[in-house]
Amino acid sequence: MDKKDLFQLLKENILILDGATGTELQKRGMPQGVCPEMWAIENPDVIVDTQKEYIQAGSNVVYTCTLGGSRIKLSEFGLGDRTVEINRKQALLSRQAVGENGLVAGDIGPMGQFVRPFGDLPFEDAVNIFKEQVKGLLEGGVDFFVIETMMDIQEARAALIAVKESCDLPVCVSMTYDQGGRTLTGTDPVTALMILQNLGADVVGCNCSTGPGDMIKIIRAMKPYAKVPLLAKPNAGLPKLVNGKTQFDMDVEEFGSYVKEFVEAGVNLLGGCCGTSPLYIEQIRKNISGLKPIAPMPKKICAVASARKTVFVDADEPVVVVGERINPSGKKMLQEELRQGMTSLIKQFAREQVENGASVLDVNVGMPGIDEKKTMLRVVEELSVMTDAPLCLDSSSPEVLEAALRVYPGRALINSISAERVKLEKLLPITAKYGAMFILLPLSDEGVPETSQERYEIVERVYNQAAGFGYTKNDFVVDGLVMTVSADQKAAIETLKVIDWCSNAFGCGTIVGLSNVSFGMPERKWINSAFLAMAIGRGLTMAIMNPSGDTLMNIKMASDVLKIKDKNSKKYIEYFAGQKEQKPAAHQKEETVSTVDRIYGAVVKGDRESVVQYIDIALKEGAEPSHIVDKYLIPAITHVGDLYDKKEYFLPQLIQSAETMKTAFGIIEPLLTKDADGDGKKKVRVVLATVKGDIHDIGKNIVGLMLRNYGFEVYDLGKDVAAGEIISKAKETKASIIGLSALMTTTMLEMKEVVDLAKKEGLDAKIMIGGAVVNAEYAKEIGADGYSEDAYAAVKLAGKLSQI
Amino acid sequence: MMSGDFMALEQYGKLKYFEHIPAVPDNGMILTRLGYRKTKTVLDEDYKKKLKANIDMGLMLCNTKGVFSRLSIIKRDDESVELENGAVLKSKSLAKLLQNSMEVVLMAATVGKDIVDRIHDEVENNDAAFGLVLDAVASETADAALDWMVDFINKLIRREGKKLTGMRYSPGYGDLPLTNQKIIFDILDLGRLGLRITERFMLIPEKSVIAIAGVEGVESNG
Repeated sequence: MDKKDLFQLLKENILILDGATGTELQKRGMPQGVCPEMWAIENPDVIVDTQKEYIQAGSNVVYTCTLGGSRIKLSEFGLGDRTVEINRKQALLSRQAVGENGLVAGDIGPMGQFVRPFGDLPFEDAVNIFKEQVKGLLEGGVDFFVIETMMDIQEARAALIAVKESCDLPVCVSMTYDQGGRTLTGTDPVTALMILQNLGADVVGCNCSTGPGDMIKIIRAMKPYAKVPLLAKPNAGLPKLVNGKTQFDMDVEEFGSYVKEFVEAGVNLLGGCCGTSPLYIEQIRKNISGLKPIAPMPKKICAVASARKTVFVDADEPVVVVGERINPSGKKMLQEELRQGMTSLIKQFAREQVENGASVLDVNVGMPGIDEKKTMLRVVEELSVMTDAPLCLDSSSPEVLEAALRVYPGRALINSISAERVKLEKLLPITAKYGAMFILLPLSDEGVPETSQERYEIVERVYNQAAGFGYTKNDFVVDGLVMTVSADQKAAIETLKVIDWCSNAFGCGTIVGLSNVSFGMPERKWINSAFLAMAIGRGLTMAIMNPSGDTLMNIKMASDVLKIKDKNSKKYIEYFAGQKEQKPAAHQKEETVSTVDRIYGAVVKGDRESVVQYIDIALKEGAEPSHIVDKYLIPAITHVGDLYDKKEYFLPQLIQSAETMKTAFGIIEPLLTKDADGDGKKKVRVVLATVKGDIHDIGKNIVGLMLRNYGFEVYDLGKDVAAGEIISKAKETKASIIGLSALMTTTMLEMKEVVDLAKKEGLDAKIMIGGAVVNAEYAKEIGADGYSEDAYAAVKLAGKLSQI
Repeated sequence: MMSGDFMALEQYGKLKYFEHIPAVPDNGMILTRLGYRKTKTVLDEDYKKKLKANIDMGLMLCNTKGVFSRLSIIKRDDESVELENGAVLKSKSLAKLLQNSMEVVLMAATVGKDIVDRIHDEVENNDAAFGLVLDAVASETADAALDWMVDFINKLIRREGKKLTGMRYSPGYGDLPLTNQKIIFDILDLGRLGLRITERFMLIPEKSVIAIAGVEGVESNG
């Protein structure tokens, strides 16, 4: 059957699919825990009878019994090597069952492993696994394919690509949505539809997980956007476990009562999934009689999508901001990171841009010294998971873009296709194969046309060629192609004309890369902003820009209001009304604050940089070092301790102040010994360690830091330290206190070893313990002298113990 | 396509890997872990901005991965459960938790090495307060990853009329000894996630967590 035939069939008819197969086989004797695909081959009469019954009940289509027919699933039963054979035999059996009375759909289900970027199965492996299954089904003579019960859009893509690359038969793709209306990996129905119909699915739909009521909502949500017919196979209600078996709670009549609503919602192929049987299909046949299908009549949609979100581009909606910052040009740190194969800055840029209002992210990793393809694939993978924003893939290499398009689990925007030969001959077919949207750049091998008229001609030329691949005017946006006004002051005007022409005469969306217009000018942001406003005035629908600049984003939002793209100015009002007047931090009048008071303030605020300056100034002003310590530094850290005790400060603030204290002390301490009235107070010595077998040390390190800041002399032995070493060190340093840390039930026992050894050696030192697994009772139990629950409590306990 | 190409697929059996777990912890939980009290702790606008940037940095540094496996319970008594692969988990309280379950799910998640290395570096050499914030982010993200996996698995098995037990256990809880960490480490082949386990059953990198939950019918009050 070819695609045209199927489409024609669906124009006039609602195809009735079959119902559940697994349970029907079980009713007819299939035991639990066997491979259904194999069992059915060994009991061919059973599967043929079952499928005949479905045909008799009213099904126009039966699915082959190959839902678990991938090599991975069959390998669970040791049948992996027989994948092609099993799939072929099942297809032949289904053909035997339907004869002339129906169609055979080759059924491809989930492999049971998750595909990258989500899981760890490489995408190409997934495609090859599905291709193997497709091969068997083709050999068995199926009429078309149905990829069903897909929980992850990437797996669905792999299966779809596998079919498309193997044959020209029609292919349906059906995802499974939970009651929250999303797939397991977070894709909503409209997004799945956008991705799959553009990738070449001939039918898109949903099956399993929910009953008819919830599934109708999914069909209804998809219908306005569907260029293709829609499919639904609901469960017979919701599943429950009864005596160890899964059963469903909806009876045949109730199931049948939903048929009319399904058709009105727009379904074109309808069957049943878990819990259904030929009786349910009979109900569908009964209730569908006389009903006419609603053909696909999609709104004119211009949209890109990530795995979890669709972004619509519409003349009547706010301008879509494409964040431009993920581009190594001029960014030394990013270049360095990319050379080292790291992506943390990229992720940071992605997050920041989305927070600042970018709906799409341009991704460009082209730079010398790296493998652009490998880097692009890595970045695309990471961004696909960490952000919902669809990606604009930006490269001058068709090879890089092809690799990225193949694995991108969304509908990308390609930057860009022009009338240059390599773009038209190489890149356009690739972009079409993966159904991506593209930015049309009106330039050619002859260069950048100066006048708008020349640019119109290029747009027409590229469009005509793209139309040959099935592209419509909703599937690309024209880049106004702005050059800098510093070189040619007419540049902006020509671009504005192109935007105007596209928006009105030609009828497509537009985009500009703003920054170009002001290159070489001073105070670029004003020119960029003015240009943006003018462009939006002429109908601009997308802009490639840096959303982190307030001016640009504010102008964009204001322009959206003025062009009635932001209905009732809702977004503008929400955004600006929500911004409180930033009250300037209460500054004490400069003249009245002394330098030493500022030192106090710096410690309390945890301002490490300023405290250095203030101490410098104070010393120059003649302040005594010991005076600074006694009257300002120590009271400051004591005050911080109080704030922490009262929970007005939390731990990072305490530590920050402690670090500031440490910095201050670092400057003052050497000066104290020169001071004739120097304290000469002997410091209390503390030996710290994480006990043997334990390598957690962050808490201990913080305690060490705090103790030092509070005047203790700390000897930190690190982690995984044997009792003997701790006791030796304590003896050597004549430490008054030993502090022990352990974080595991298995290592806390070591603390007792240390206490016992200390007693045995006649050591005077007090022992205090800390760590998530221990507590005051444990301290008592092992004979330690105390327990502290956090770093500050440790300081106080150490203070107490050193007085004893 | 030669069948030899698929030899590596033998390793894909009962273990389901997540290469990227998109779990983001609740901001409030991160702050609470740092001692923040909503009604008491005072943070000015500048500090809040800086704190947010620090938390965002922490989230960027996490490379959260996970794995789970479903195993049938083949034998049980009041003090232990035996799994289909012969592994025995000895614990009265765990056995009680699993009383209505016919299977267990073993799961593990890690936020990876990068953030752990950074935490140590900051605390020991640089900005300890920042290191502490990263530490809280890492701990909460590891927990959030487990929450995410539980949610995911629940959705997966709801179609069978099943759900996970409301509570989950980790080795070291109650009377489930930490030694079980090694048993589960081996079953889940956690080396593949880049993890190691010490002699004392500690997971490295540190911010890695293991959990056990039961699979029971949706009607069960577990």
